[in-house]
Amino acid sequence: MISKLKEAVICLKAGKVTLPYPFAAEPVPARYRGRPIFNVERCIGCGGCANNCPAREILLSDVCQEIRIMRYLGQRCTYCGRCADVCPEHAITMSGEFETATNDKRDLQQELEVFMGTCQRCGRCFTAPGPLEQLMMKGYRQDDLPAGRWVYKSRSFLQSEGLPDIEIELD
Amino acid sequence: MPARNVLNQIKERFEPSILRVDVPSDNRLFLYVTPGVVRDICNHVFRDLDARYVVSIGIDDRPYSGQFTVAHNFGFEREKVLSSILVNLPADDPVIDSISPAVPAANWAEREFRDLLGIEPVGCPSMKRLVLPDGWPEGVHPLRKDFSWDLKPAKFDENKVFAFDDPPEGCVVVPFGPFHPTLDEPAHFRLYVEGEIVRGCEYRGFMVHRGIEKLADTVLTYNEIPMMAERICGICGCVHSVAYAQAVEQAAAIEPPARARFIRTIMLELERLHSHLLWVGLANHILGFDTLFMQSFRMREPIMWLCERITGNRKTYGLCVIGGVRWDITPEIKDDINRILDQLEKEWIAAAKAVQGDRNLQKRTKGVGIADAALVKDLGLIGPIARASGVPQDCRRDFPYAAYDQVDFQVITQAGCDVWSRVLVRVLEVFESIRIIRQCLEKMPAGPIQLQLDDELPPGRIGLSSIEAPRGEAHHFVVTGEENRPRRWRVRAPTYQNLQGIPAMIKDQQLADMTISLGSIDPCFSCTDRLEILDIKSGDVRVYSQQEIVNMTRRV
Repeated sequence: MISKLKEAVICLKAGKVTLPYPFAAEPVPARYRGRPIFNVERCIGCGGCANNCPAREILLSDVCQEIRIMRYLGQRCTYCGRCADVCPEHAITMSGEFETATNDKRDLQQELEVFMGTCQRCGRCFTAPGPLEQLMMKGYRQDDLPAGRWVYKSRSFLQSEGLPDIEIELD
Repeated sequence: MPARNVLNQIKERFEPSILRVDVPSDNRLFLYVTPGVVRDICNHVFRDLDARYVVSIGIDDRPYSGQFTVAHNFGFEREKVLSSILVNLPADDPVIDSISPAVPAANWAEREFRDLLGIEPVGCPSMKRLVLPDGWPEGVHPLRKDFSWDLKPAKFDENKVFAFDDPPEGCVVVPFGPFHPTLDEPAHFRLYVEGEIVRGCEYRGFMVHRGIEKLADTVLTYNEIPMMAERICGICGCVHSVAYAQAVEQAAAIEPPARARFIRTIMLELERLHSHLLWVGLANHILGFDTLFMQSFRMREPIMWLCERITGNRKTYGLCVIGGVRWDITPEIKDDINRILDQLEKEWIAAAKAVQGDRNLQKRTKGVGIADAALVKDLGLIGPIARASGVPQDCRRDFPYAAYDQVDFQVITQAGCDVWSRVLVRVLEVFESIRIIRQCLEKMPAGPIQLQLDDELPPGRIGLSSIEAPRGEAHHFVVTGEENRPRRWRVRAPTYQNLQGIPAMIKDQQLADMTISLGSIDPCFSCTDRLEILDIKSGDVRVYSQQEIVNMTRRV
């Protein structure tokens, strides 16, 4: 009987603890990991985020000699924040957005078109040599953008063979 | 040299059968033995040397050494040594003597490697399918290296139904689960009931396999796995990510910085706090006492918010990478932790007094779900179950990891062997966790929280790591490999062992007590069922084809 009284006291002391959530959202803490936001002005297209994403949510593909497309799908993303960790240019920020339910999965996608330099030998995209070399990233990939599929085996290094339409001038 | 002492004790009887010995550190021992003696040596270790059985692992090592390997892991608590007894088996005929007759706790693990790798445990008392779904074709073993990670076997038989044993004479079958109000996750118990008394049961689970281990050794990389590992379990996620990271670090001889080890300890203890508060709430909910359920969830909520402030998320902390942690504890956060712990301690003292004096709770839980010390030993039961049976067993003390060797705490034990004792153990462990966190905050040194790793990790090394999760010991086994990913990663979640004790715990008890007996091990089926590829709902009323389920759940 006494224990029941004690339990009643615990309840009374607690008072009302529910929050008026859908009507007024609590501010998120400073380190909160919500939906990642990609900043195209900072992105150098190194592909570090794509290579470190545990859910394979970041695809990249070169559409022509100067433009590399990075697409963030946002469907299976677990907001772990590894992409923001490894980004050398701090182009990715984990925002405070968490109300991301939607009827259209394209609402969550982000796509960046990054202008890249062109390699005079192979004609493929590359950024200024500094950051890429620093990172030692084996960045070059051709993911399947139309199907939204990440390509399992990525080639490690830039390759000149397999591109028959480009002729390399030799002195 | 405790590992050497253990080795010498084994050598006294089995010296000629030992092929190779690795002693990488004071508290790890790897013994390669000939296949013929494996049952005797395990029996000797388990019974005469009083080691605790941990898990058995099958490894497909054919691409590297041309052989299969089976590892039987044991923990020597007095000597603080974790050991692995390894046997190499020929690739064309992987057959091994079952150790289940000597070590009953090994039954599930042996059936698992039989299902997944096709290594045949000869003499295993129960050879029924454990892990693979009922319709999975015979002779296809998904964890073999020549089985591609995205392959779906062609001859999957949608209509095949699991063959349950016949019920004993005079008993009625009561199906319990896969979907049941007091089970949050799917598992099926087929209870044999005589009147109101349960006479036995058969278990069929593993319905939420997600192929995590296969994914880890084919697709993911070392630093991606911790993010996956913490999703093995919804409550003790951090445990799995730390255990994995420690196993890899131990295999590759990496020493994480001291500050990182303290931060790991703090997060693990915060996790234990909210897990125990959740369990006390849920146990009361199962017993129909929702007042305390609400209150313990209310007390738990500030801990969740605290974790969100430290790591950026309530539950999946994303804490570990190989060689350190990702989130630092700043002075402001330290003050936050202290403030919230003070508040919790005050409230929990009142709640603990109320629980301990509650007659209704005692009437429902005393003498229910009995697991005595002999059962704990035989079936390898762990964590609060073992401690509630008077077995002082705690990995934090037995195999110290992270910063547990630098803090002072008590291992709480009770002698009742029943559900009531398990309630008390968990209620009292909350105070120990609060003490540990306070000591860590005091002693935490300054310094880096992550190690810069420049070299590739060496392949082919074995790492073992045991962590005391809120539910018991979580054990991870890693063989390092090429291409920046492990060759084999095996997770033994605590429920994997504790669930095997359920048939003995509920035998000859009231049917109504079944739910709290099961609840008392804090079952986590998604932890137990880690590693499969397909799952189908098979069973009692109707069999859905996989395509039907896909059509029901997915909009194309």
